[in-house]
Amino acid sequence: MKRLLYRLKTAPYFTGLILFLTILALNVVIQTPARFFSAANINSLVAKNLPLILITMSQGLLMMSGVIDFSVGVQVSLSNVIAIMIPQSLGLPIWVGWLCAVAGCVAVSAFNGFITTYLRIPVLLSCYSMVFVVKGLNVLIMPKPQGSVPPVIYKTYDSVLLGFLPFSALILAAVLLFWLYLKRTAFAKALYATGGNLRHAYSSGINTSAVRMKVYLIAGVINGIAGLCMTAMTASGDPNAGEVYGLKTVAACILGGISMSGGWGTLSCALYGALLLILTQNGVSNLFNFLSRAIPGFSVTNYWQNFASDLIILLALILTVFTNKAMMGSIKKQADYLALGGKRNEA
Amino acid sequence: MFEMRSIVKHFGSVKALNGACLSVKPGEIRALLGSNGSGKSTIVKIMGGIVRANAGELLMDGVPIRIESAADSRSFGFAVAYQELSLLPQMSVIDNIMLGHEYTRRGGLLDEKRRRESVRGLLERLEIKCSPDALVQNISPSEQSMVEVAKALSREPKFLLLDEVTASLHHDEVESLFRVLREEKAKGVSILIVTHRMNEIYQVCDSATIFRNGATAAEGPMSRFPLNEVIYHMTGTRVKEEAAAAPRSTAKGQDALLRVEHLTMKPKVSDISLHVDKGEIVGIGGLEGQGQAEYMKAIFGDLTPDAGEMWFEGRQLRLKDTSQAVKRGISYISGDRTKESVFSLRTIEENLTAGDAALGGVWSWVSAKKIRKMAGDAVERYQIKIGAITDSASSLSGGNQQKLAIARGIAVGPKLLLLNDPTKGVDINSRNEIHKILRDSSAEGMGVLLVSSDTEELLGICSRIYVFYEGRVVAELSGDQRTEENIVRAMIGGAPEGREEAGT
Ligand SMILES: Nc1ncnc2c1ncn2[C@@H]1O[C@H](COP(=O)(O)OP(=O)(O)OP(=O)(O)O)[C@@H](O)[C@H]1O
Ligand SMILES: [Mg+2]
Repeated sequence: MKRLLYRLKTAPYFTGLILFLTILALNVVIQTPARFFSAANINSLVAKNLPLILITMSQGLLMMSGVIDFSVGVQVSLSNVIAIMIPQSLGLPIWVGWLCAVAGCVAVSAFNGFITTYLRIPVLLSCYSMVFVVKGLNVLIMPKPQGSVPPVIYKTYDSVLLGFLPFSALILAAVLLFWLYLKRTAFAKALYATGGNLRHAYSSGINTSAVRMKVYLIAGVINGIAGLCMTAMTASGDPNAGEVYGLKTVAACILGGISMSGGWGTLSCALYGALLLILTQNGVSNLFNFLSRAIPGFSVTNYWQNFASDLIILLALILTVFTNKAMMGSIKKQADYLALGGKRNEA
Repeated sequence: MFEMRSIVKHFGSVKALNGACLSVKPGEIRALLGSNGSGKSTIVKIMGGIVRANAGELLMDGVPIRIESAADSRSFGFAVAYQELSLLPQMSVIDNIMLGHEYTRRGGLLDEKRRRESVRGLLERLEIKCSPDALVQNISPSEQSMVEVAKALSREPKFLLLDEVTASLHHDEVESLFRVLREEKAKGVSILIVTHRMNEIYQVCDSATIFRNGATAAEGPMSRFPLNEVIYHMTGTRVKEEAAAAPRSTAKGQDALLRVEHLTMKPKVSDISLHVDKGEIVGIGGLEGQGQAEYMKAIFGDLTPDAGEMWFEGRQLRLKDTSQAVKRGISYISGDRTKESVFSLRTIEENLTAGDAALGGVWSWVSAKKIRKMAGDAVERYQIKIGAITDSASSLSGGNQQKLAIARGIAVGPKLLLLNDPTKGVDINSRNEIHKILRDSSAEGMGVLLVSSDTEELLGICSRIYVFYEGRVVAELSGDQRTEENIVRAMIGGAPEGREEAGT
């Protein structure tokens, strides 16, 4: 039991998990347990935010391997506009459009990966310019919001299976399962090593460029899927909808406990980080709703709500940085203590 | 048999290797010797595939080969333990050792059981005490070095290259390492050892190659190279055998420079008192991690003790931070250069003069000309091998980086010099030079407190030696009690022979 607790405390997602549980509890209090845990509420929370959760995960993968990509947000829109426009303007079947959507994101990610890993362009530079390139591309493909998808798709996406299981949660589970598999392969170790120290990983015989490239490709696929979820959710196309997500994913990853400098974290960090972000927003808007109902004449704009939730996130970020520092210290102390104890036992 | 012929490598204007030759036969342990910056690490890196030679030939059993990448090097059977280590601090010991050659099962999944078993076996064989699941950042520097060796060994190499791995190892760790090396040698593995600890090479090596300025100066069986021969080939000049004067205290007694009483810092240091007189070199011995580093840092004001008092020059010493210590005339040099002593991205010049800058206020004026002159003098005095004085410190060889730190510490002319394993990875010649400088400065009244893992170094220059064990002083040796035997016995917790000494 003590060992288990120690394992949990030293896990990278520890602070993320605690923060997430705290904000979850607050949400439950604000909304009352019955309403918060109702199938409809859970479904709408997951379904509405799945794109953000997914791209936070791809950002997490990238950050663990020591790179970062702000263009994950615009990639979601790219996937979205391709998925709508190919069937609409070329008259091709929908599945062709959807495949092309994912392929488009993979191509963008691959290109990004190529210029950062093989041409050695600094990561921030390349991904920042990629944001503008892809944004331009999106508007070229679809100048203004439009389009629709067959009802069966968005109805399925919004459905609740067996009375409690949101369909969208299945997609999330699939990605998590994929990570569970990946985590147990040699590739994961190579990924952490590459993120931790490129030179050391290389001198251990790891083809670091190939590892980075593969991470970019996986991220591209996930971004594509996130775009498809967005399409199913909104049932239309919007060339600019995904942009705001780009920076949020980085904040979410850090909140979850993934290190900015790479080599530390797991995908559960990304998950907790994203959920934290989502629940904060959700909680704040519910709180304001409650206030405006409770206090006659009280009303605030969306901007105030955003301001409040962003402020909370800023506080959480600061807290994360501090607790991580303190935690590393306490882990070290604990390790020292164990080491000393070991020596005494022998003597 | 593997051979390298007339290898040339330059980094910008610096010629690291200039026609060096090297060969290793199966089943032999060869020493690669040379002063700091003579190109030893560079040639090892070429074999490891992380540096590419500008010219030269590599022959494997007479057939020319090319090593273009670390993966190539591995496929030819090379495994390297690097001087600056190639470990990932955030990963566990198992992950580090198995990195790059994982055991997998069906479907690409890792074979956890086999990984764990093989790592357990290796750790046991090398007598490494740390847990396989510990993160590398949480284990001690000497354990890290051993893990680096384990990592190389786990690849079951035909050619095992060890670049100064013993520099941070202690007596018994070196013993178990050498036992393993002899076993490997019996299996027909070729082993190349780079080291500056001369007694080690006579223990295990069959033959030696000696580098001077990036070229091979001599090569042959160990029997041809007694110590003075080795030094001759390393430096190119014959030095007169200078009978090393037995260290004797120039202290006038009662004149204590530093007096520490009952210093306690849980859990590493419990109740240690000691004193350093003016003009005295006092040594602290002991296995690694017995509280020496913490003790030194407490004196320097880097750590705050739980209890205890310190007097410096008769006045009580209460330090809030290290800059106050520097102002009172205390200087600290650490052997852990990557973490504590070298600003690796800054220039050599800035590294040398940073200590001096700390003497003034943060905004005080520093003249560029004066700095250049100071830095130039230091480079000459300590024989630091550099390209240009404005190169970054990371371009220097390991030993030369260490000399930077020492030069900086002494340059400020402190009254008390705290040294924590300062000559780690410094070649024998420069080490003698540094010892001489220490003796000279102490004759002028500077007090020196020296922590060293090298017993010879302690015996060579210290007039009094305290031995630490589990955060306590188990022996205070002076006069003719200072023998290797007494130190080693005290290091493992035993009391010295003869008169009972200041104990618990
Ligand atoms: N990346 C680099 N850039 C510039 N100069 C370098 C670089 N690496 C090595 N050098 C230079 O090449 C020379 C040889 O360095 P090397 O590290 O091989 O020495 P060494 O024999 O291993 O010394 P030591 O005993 O101190 O470890 C040194 O003068 C060093 O300054
Ligand atoms: Mg070296």
